[in-house]
Amino acid sequence: MNRKRALISDTFKVKRKRNGTEKFGAVSDDGPADIKSSLEYLMTLFPRKLFNDALPQIVLKHQLYSIHNDKTLVDKEVNKLREGGEVLMFQLGFDTEAFGLVFTSDYKAKVLAGQEGKDTSATVEKFIERVVSSCTDLSFSKDKMLKEFLFTDSEITQLVKSGVLTVRDAGSWWLSIPNSGKFTKYFVQGRKAVLGMVKKSKYSEVLKAEIEERRTTSQVKFHMKYHIHDIVGAELVESIPTTSGTLLRFVDS
Amino acid sequence: MLGYLAARQAGLDDPLRLRRAESTRRVLGLQLNPDRDVDRIHGNGINTIDIEAIEGRYMLSGGADGVIAIYDLENYSGKSQYTCKAVCTVGRSSRHVHKFSVETVQWYPYDTGMFVSSSFDKTMKVWDTETLKPAELFEFEGNVYSHHLSPIARKHSLIAVGTKNPKIQLCDLKSGSKIHVLQGHRGEVLSVRWSPRYEHILASASADSKVKVWDVRRASGSLLTLDQHNGDKSKASSEAANTAHNGRVNGLCFTGDGLYLLTTGTDDRMRLWNSASGENTLVNYGKVCNESRKRLQFTVSRGCSPEFVFVPCGSSVAVYALHTGELVTMLRGHYNNVDCCEFHPDYQELYSGGKDCNILAWVPVLRTSDVEEESNRENKVTGGQSSVNPALQDAWSSDED
Repeated sequence: MNRKRALISDTFKVKRKRNGTEKFGAVSDDGPADIKSSLEYLMTLFPRKLFNDALPQIVLKHQLYSIHNDKTLVDKEVNKLREGGEVLMFQLGFDTEAFGLVFTSDYKAKVLAGQEGKDTSATVEKFIERVVSSCTDLSFSKDKMLKEFLFTDSEITQLVKSGVLTVRDAGSWWLSIPNSGKFTKYFVQGRKAVLGMVKKSKYSEVLKAEIEERRTTSQVKFHMKYHIHDIVGAELVESIPTTSGTLLRFVDS
Repeated sequence: MLGYLAARQAGLDDPLRLRRAESTRRVLGLQLNPDRDVDRIHGNGINTIDIEAIEGRYMLSGGADGVIAIYDLENYSGKSQYTCKAVCTVGRSSRHVHKFSVETVQWYPYDTGMFVSSSFDKTMKVWDTETLKPAELFEFEGNVYSHHLSPIARKHSLIAVGTKNPKIQLCDLKSGSKIHVLQGHRGEVLSVRWSPRYEHILASASADSKVKVWDVRRASGSLLTLDQHNGDKSKASSEAANTAHNGRVNGLCFTGDGLYLLTTGTDDRMRLWNSASGENTLVNYGKVCNESRKRLQFTVSRGCSPEFVFVPCGSSVAVYALHTGELVTMLRGHYNNVDCCEFHPDYQELYSGGKDCNILAWVPVLRTSDVEEESNRENKVTGGQSSVNPALQDAWSSDED
């Protein structure tokens, strides 16, 4: 008798009636099939008070991979949202593959609020109007800034000073979120701490439900769920469905 | 299943549909079978395996000890328990054996009278299968990582060779010359592959993170350099411009129809490219663990829908759906790192070899009978399981599922 459940191709799927509606084990909370609603859910996990409401809510793209199975589909949907101007993507800097997503409206509101009363506010407003609304790039080269968007050198310096652009290399800049340095610092700290918690557990594995309940050290400033979506999506831990719930096992690489 | 057969019979369905559905079902049911074994010849890890394209009967394997072995995969014994015996080997005692590890072996695409092997002893040998003596010897300046003969070539008989030298050498089997050189890479060439669709198109992967597509008839440079960002220079740091991966590219595989090219790199990513335009299709396979410092031999299924990619990942083989990127399953069974895998298209079997000196055969699991049928049969047959293949047994049963 073969105890393993066989993989069946879609063409042969046989529908069977189930007798009870009791659910055991890893209950997949009927995730929203919609990428936008999962984005919104993840945004709620972002702690706004920690940054005194100065930062817009940031979510990492790979956190979506932990909710939805099909990575290619997630990528396509995110690109669609970016083309539609609803979501902005940023290169966060600590990892070449870690992209941050922010709702455009949030971003605009927070940046303009942060610029109030500063002498760079006019340039930043111009930047947001011209560049952010039209272009979906993650980085800009000097050529592009001068010719396409007609910014002068001094204006570019002002933009860098205000935090909307960060230096990438000689003559090109990343689009960035002002004051996001704190976010990156706390995030990397928290990620390290949570990974450490999983690694130190017996057999380097822990039930997801259990680690969510654990008391967090002062290193972890974000919501535990935020970090868990991050480490699962970045494949730093393996997510294994078991009869007692989802198990997170540290991946030694 | 009966529905498919009936539709095929009535002409409602294309004949290919039934074949594809059944091939896919078999590939999804790949498992280690205690009845199927491959003879253990190598004393050291197995670096490469190749199944001949004509009959699919003989398999070549090259090991880290320089030994080359040929196995007979056909089961003519009538019993279900079968070990693929080694028909002949070029062992350590042979005068012509390679001095160091054999990195690539390949059958001559048109018959099994000849095969080519290349090794870290900086030579490539063309062997006569009958006498097991090399008919031709090509020498190079650096370790040979990979070589490939075009499976469809009619107008040329070139062997593309990737060595430690950034130049790709093309050796001509007919004349024995190796003056044709393809320049363009800046680092060692880890893998070369001819397209199964056009006999003049060659793809090469190098440690300088670039993958280049060449037309060998052209005198000047490569046709395309694959770019992972599809020209969108804003995505990553500027050094990553025009690179296929963010690390060494060590695996190349064309799909069966030659329309797509898969590449794997040490940045733990696998990418699918449109081979005509060089565009990255942006299929996200997630993290494909890759630590190999040499060529990684992986393979794509043929004749199924959807197609599957079999990639050695640590000590197991990962199976991904080609176009959606989802991880279908992990085939676990090896005791150590898996180095190579090869798909047998006629029987939908997978052979994988690794550092544990084993070649494992993954065989589609036979269709399990229904519960009522099983209890019926148990009453009739004494002593539990029958050891004869049910297909060979006269077991006419009127209720199939």
